[in-house]
Amino acid sequence: MVTVELRNVEKKWEDFRLRINHLEARDGEFLTLLGPSGCGKTTTLRMIAGFDRPEGGEILFDGTRMNEVPPYERGIGIVFQDYALFPHMTVFKNVAFGLEMRRVPRKEIEGRVKRALELVGLRGMENRYPEQLSGGQQQRVALARALVVEPEVLLLDEPLSNLDAKIREKLRGEVRRIQRELGITTIYVTHDQEEAMAISDRIALMNVGTVEQVGTPLELYYHPKTEFVARFLGLSNILELEAENGRACLGGLCFNVGKEGRVRLFFRPESVYVKPGKTGRITDYELLPGRVRLKIDVEGNTILAERFLNELPFSIDEPPEGVDLEVLSFSTI
Amino acid sequence: MGSKPSKIILLMPLVFLLVFFYIPLVSIVKTGLWDGGLTLRYLGAVLSNGYHRHVIIFTVEQAIASTLLTLVLGLPGAYIFAKYDFPGKRTIKAFLTVPFVMPSVMVALGYILLFGKNGFVTELVGRDLGILYSWKAILLAHAFYNFPIVIRMVSSLWQRINPHYEEAAMALGARGWRLFWRITLPMISPAIFASAMLTFVFCFLSFSIPLIIGGYQYATMEVDIFTQVMTLLDFKTGAALALIQITLSAVFMYLYLRSLEAYSKREEQRIFQKPAGFGWRDILSIKGLLMVVYSLIVFLFIVAPLLAVLYDSLRFQGGWSLEWYRRVFSPEYNPMFGASTMVTIRNSLAFGISTVILSTLVALPVAYILHRWNFRGKRLFDVLVMLPLASSPVTLALGYIKVFHSTPLYYTAAIVAIAHTVIAYPFVLRSVSTALRKIRPNLFEAALSLGAREWRAFLKVELPIAMGGVIVGAIFAFAMSIAELGATYMLAKPEYTTMAVAVYRFLGSRQFGSASALSVMLMVLSALSFMVIERMGEEVW
Repeated sequence: MVTVELRNVEKKWEDFRLRINHLEARDGEFLTLLGPSGCGKTTTLRMIAGFDRPEGGEILFDGTRMNEVPPYERGIGIVFQDYALFPHMTVFKNVAFGLEMRRVPRKEIEGRVKRALELVGLRGMENRYPEQLSGGQQQRVALARALVVEPEVLLLDEPLSNLDAKIREKLRGEVRRIQRELGITTIYVTHDQEEAMAISDRIALMNVGTVEQVGTPLELYYHPKTEFVARFLGLSNILELEAENGRACLGGLCFNVGKEGRVRLFFRPESVYVKPGKTGRITDYELLPGRVRLKIDVEGNTILAERFLNELPFSIDEPPEGVDLEVLSFSTI
Repeated sequence: MGSKPSKIILLMPLVFLLVFFYIPLVSIVKTGLWDGGLTLRYLGAVLSNGYHRHVIIFTVEQAIASTLLTLVLGLPGAYIFAKYDFPGKRTIKAFLTVPFVMPSVMVALGYILLFGKNGFVTELVGRDLGILYSWKAILLAHAFYNFPIVIRMVSSLWQRINPHYEEAAMALGARGWRLFWRITLPMISPAIFASAMLTFVFCFLSFSIPLIIGGYQYATMEVDIFTQVMTLLDFKTGAALALIQITLSAVFMYLYLRSLEAYSKREEQRIFQKPAGFGWRDILSIKGLLMVVYSLIVFLFIVAPLLAVLYDSLRFQGGWSLEWYRRVFSPEYNPMFGASTMVTIRNSLAFGISTVILSTLVALPVAYILHRWNFRGKRLFDVLVMLPLASSPVTLALGYIKVFHSTPLYYTAAIVAIAHTVIAYPFVLRSVSTALRKIRPNLFEAALSLGAREWRAFLKVELPIAMGGVIVGAIFAFAMSIAELGATYMLAKPEYTTMAVAVYRFLGSRQFGSASALSVMLMVLSALSFMVIERMGEEVW
């Protein structure tokens, strides 16, 4: 397997500019490009695949420059959002296509196609046509077709977003299982943060043409480097406070920041613990399965707190007049 | 981009077009404008001559009138097809392809048999309606050919208009005529305009119909050029006329291609509105009755000329007989066109098949270039490769006579097949390009990612999916080849006479029985083409 590396890659069109200073998918790693639509993640993937050409910079596979190498010589497998199965070929023919292009002997093709279809759980479907399959099955065929040629890099462009929620969750687990089994370097594009968190070794979060932060899901979630990252993943509290003697306070809620002057504090709702007191006031709450999300007003600022119902020190039916807050982990951004 | 040998394959068709279309074209320009130096003498002579001026004006007038009649006849059909589902809809829709593939010599013969002195309609009414050998017959025959285009193009767009537009307008208080005028009409107008432009171009270049049922007074420019060259041997005047014709038709063709662009843009929305059911009970309403009457008229309009020909071919000396067919299939030499009728059938088939092969070989690489490559001047390239559509067979043949008369190619079977190819190839190109455009681009990318080179991805993935378009284009080329009259007449020596030319000769000597029997043979070939096209279910334009 290979390490995919992007160095100073640039691409412009009309009023949009994509620039990636450095991005790396290491050998055998599952890297997700996450971001809102129009951030350039699909373009980045297409440049790695060789369908689009960067206007500057380099794309490297194991240190070898790939910019001028056509897609069919890059050793990639790609799965598209709409699967792109060849409608005039059976499942078998679709999966066999890449092997035929590589002039693999007939006998060997049969065995490899069979194994690939087994890997994705589609035995016995060889003679069906794509139109006779459900969306989930089509996606499995697309995956088998990409994997059967034993690519060095697997590229997935929002492969699950056309499926309904239940199948999506099931398939993403399988994609992850297969990727681990084969140990193949994988680059995955999605706009779904939950999917990205669930599936990735590392996530590259993108925003209008740049990579904002790269890191493990936990790093991005608990230690975002920018406000965009903080707000894109999950819910967040961001406070701007004035620090004195290493402490910044909002009413009775204080943080040991170890700095002086203006600071921006970031913390997740689940880091906020509450007990009856008088620092803030519960203004509203929302029930989630087994949990509750509280809106607490502290000196005119709304702070979100999320707790399991069974660990609240009071009953949510009879909330106290005031609450004290404790934030166990936070960071400055 | 491809490797070297593939580029050579891609360039071959362009060389073919250069030699067999552009050089003859330039030669006509030279003949019309050059006489030891640049001269406008011949153009001036044509334009100041009363007869030629009359012909030019008449050509445009009849094309406008034919287009209007075609729209009148086609638009109600488009409405019915877009809005209603009824028993037999598929069959009727299929039936509308029939005129496309029917040779115009045969249709002209049908009109003679219907409206002539002893015609069926003439005898039914009891007097000569004065339709034949006048502009009326020309208009009717042109409408016969083109109203299915209007029905197909307009109804296909009409069906795809997002129903929410009309519903929103209705919710805002628009209904009936105002709804149609303000909302529906603007939505379907690209289709109306594109189909009208195509009809106009076809009528403007029409040859066999005015030649046979128009007479001297109602000649089009195409007929006029033919007469100048073939009867009067006046190449200079012919070339000057051809110049005017090419210029005008190129302008019309450009307008057509532009309107087609607007049309396909709208069509791409592909929102399909399920038509309302139309059962037997609905026929009893006024609307239903009008629809039935319209369908009957259309039906008669299409089948009447065909039935007239079939009937006539089976009548011999006042009784039913297969005598005319016996004569058609006899190996007897016919001095009128210098071959036996059997040989003309063989010739037509041979030219038809050569045209299919050649025009596919020319069209496929051009379609590939247009589909796959992006380069500066691509729009101009598109226009240049489609320009043969705007040239007429007679003009093309005139160019061939000028360019090739002293080469060994002249007077061979090959040059006839080549002429047919240049005439038919734009239809193959259109058909293939349309089919290729419908394919999602990521199928191609998927093939590349799996290790296929560009041309293998094209051959193994895109071409098989577009095969319907290729076959329809090829069959269309076949139908055009066997129906072709003008260029064949001008370029083929007697032993290469085709069925269409033989029918024309029979008509000239008023041997209607032989003409009818041979026309029925043509009809059978055309009907076979029609069935293949219908099975593939692809649109040519």
